[in-house]
Amino acid sequence: MPPVFDYEKCIGCGTCEELCPGDVIYMKQSDDGPEPYLRYPDECWHCGSCRQDCPEEAVTILFPPDMLSI
Amino acid sequence: MDIHELTTDVLIVGGGLAGTNAAMGAAENGADVVIADKGAIERSGDIGGGVDHFMAFLNQDPEWDTREAFLGYVDKVGRGTGHLDIIESVYCAELNAAIERMARIGNPLTQPDGTFYRTRSMGQPGTYWINFNGKRLKPRLGKAVRDLGCRVLDKVMMVDLLTRDGAVAGGIGFHIRSGDFYRVRAKATVISTGNSNRLYENPRINPFNTWLCPFDTGDGQIMAFKAGAALSNMEYMRMTLLPKGFAAPGFNALVGMGGRFLNGLGEYFMEKNHPMGNRAPRYDVVYQALQEIRMGHGPLFIDCRHLREEDLAHLRASLGYDKDTLPDYFEQRGENLRTNPVEITVSEGMQAGPTEVTGSGIKIDRESASTVPGLFACGDACDHNRCVHGAVAGGYKAGKSAAAHALGMKASPEAPDAVAREEVDRFMAPMGRSTGYPQRQIEDALRKIMAEHVGPMRSENGIQMGIRKLKRLEGSLDQMKATDLHELMRTHETRSLLLIGQMMATAALYRTESRNKPYHHRLDYPETDQENWSGLVVLRKEGERIVCEFEPVSTR
Repeated sequence: MPPVFDYEKCIGCGTCEELCPGDVIYMKQSDDGPEPYLRYPDECWHCGSCRQDCPEEAVTILFPPDMLSI
Repeated sequence: MDIHELTTDVLIVGGGLAGTNAAMGAAENGADVVIADKGAIERSGDIGGGVDHFMAFLNQDPEWDTREAFLGYVDKVGRGTGHLDIIESVYCAELNAAIERMARIGNPLTQPDGTFYRTRSMGQPGTYWINFNGKRLKPRLGKAVRDLGCRVLDKVMMVDLLTRDGAVAGGIGFHIRSGDFYRVRAKATVISTGNSNRLYENPRINPFNTWLCPFDTGDGQIMAFKAGAALSNMEYMRMTLLPKGFAAPGFNALVGMGGRFLNGLGEYFMEKNHPMGNRAPRYDVVYQALQEIRMGHGPLFIDCRHLREEDLAHLRASLGYDKDTLPDYFEQRGENLRTNPVEITVSEGMQAGPTEVTGSGIKIDRESASTVPGLFACGDACDHNRCVHGAVAGGYKAGKSAAAHALGMKASPEAPDAVAREEVDRFMAPMGRSTGYPQRQIEDALRKIMAEHVGPMRSENGIQMGIRKLKRLEGSLDQMKATDLHELMRTHETRSLLLIGQMMATAALYRTESRNKPYHHRLDYPETDQENWSGLVVLRKEGERIVCEFEPVSTR
């Protein structure tokens, strides 16, 4: 499900969580600090805001099989 | 959980394209402004991720590029679904300022060389679409709103309006992360919450895979209706054509550039069936597509293989302006515009304006005022704005009018009582239920009922059956449970959607003709009756009932 986060690049700034229009992305604590995760993947509109505004280019969009195959 | 009491001149409910322009209109005309949105105003609403088109006449051609010619176009495609004098006031008169404002905030409608890139589709007499790069339009608008000193309530869902002596006096809402309540007392309130996009069964399985923003659920329209405001054009179920698996906007660019609609038999069906061919009004294109599918002529495609290399290059470069992730989708699906037609299908239905120039929702006048004192509306939440151009021009107009109303009031309305604990508890109730149903279960049933009984083919018996089923489902609204604040937000959305569905069904039953098929297609009244039905079906609340009244629109 899009978006996919690259935790090597992510600095845990929370921009994606703040700007997601659907309240789909949340932050959680990991051993390396805060990191984003998709709490409601089914509710993503694929608007791409998280990717566009990520300061570290840590977000890629990967479409799920249902959307690519039907 | 805290309760915050705020006082302002103008409260704006919904911070999308219309709402941010309304905030600018109010603040630049001297009002103190509070603006609330379920998301963050930098990326919320239909064009949060970007947009690529804006409809305008620019006086570059005396035949079709004038205000008069544009109104003639509205008259022709609108077919009596809007008052021309209102459109002239909330759009035409605001257009120059809107174009100037876009440049002023750093997102001009022009290309880097200063010219307008213009294309034509949807029944236009000339190239009314301006193609532009709006990928950062919302972040720029958000900054402009904050720079003007507006107080921004991000992640606050407004759930009700405050009223006093028959006038709207602000609103109440909660923060979807903290659960804090906000009670905003305002001299004027603007509703800009968009249309309703999660209302019909979705042909791509997931109800959030919608053409327009799935978080637009008619909340503001319902708040306005409960406060006594009239709504109109609610019978129209809008649809469009989309890539098969992804409800992405962006196809207007393909058609504007010269894309051709193709059926499974290898026929260019729009060229065969409509005098304007692929550039026919959107409702005609969708109607013909549905007919092709019903006749077994699917699958359907859009064909761009014939386009010149320079046009294809422009498309490739600009397709992601309207939907940032559409190029990724094409790439991952293996689509190539040069070598293959792209499979398309008819979208989900939605409660939205019957054309690109007439809307659906809160009934407004020439000053963007609703029928209730102190309440204004703009963008897709109202009946005389539509699309990007309507939201930018009409949004500012509504903000300006709201500021004039607020600043013209001799005294502030009396201070409202502090938020009563019971009032908060009422909105939080789903959180306290240990038994009950998830909102998704109620919403899935709603979408099914709407698609089967209030869909693209309607009849008296079917709509009446739909109304009975919706009534039964309404009885389940108070059994929705939420395990967190996010789900609480969704339960309120479900509630709005169901009431929107009831209004659509009521208006669809009342209008005993067909208009802008398939948006309102009555199988038992298949003809358009221009003599008796050119005008708006206006809905009002009378006690607990929805009452319809017909308001004629004069056409030329």
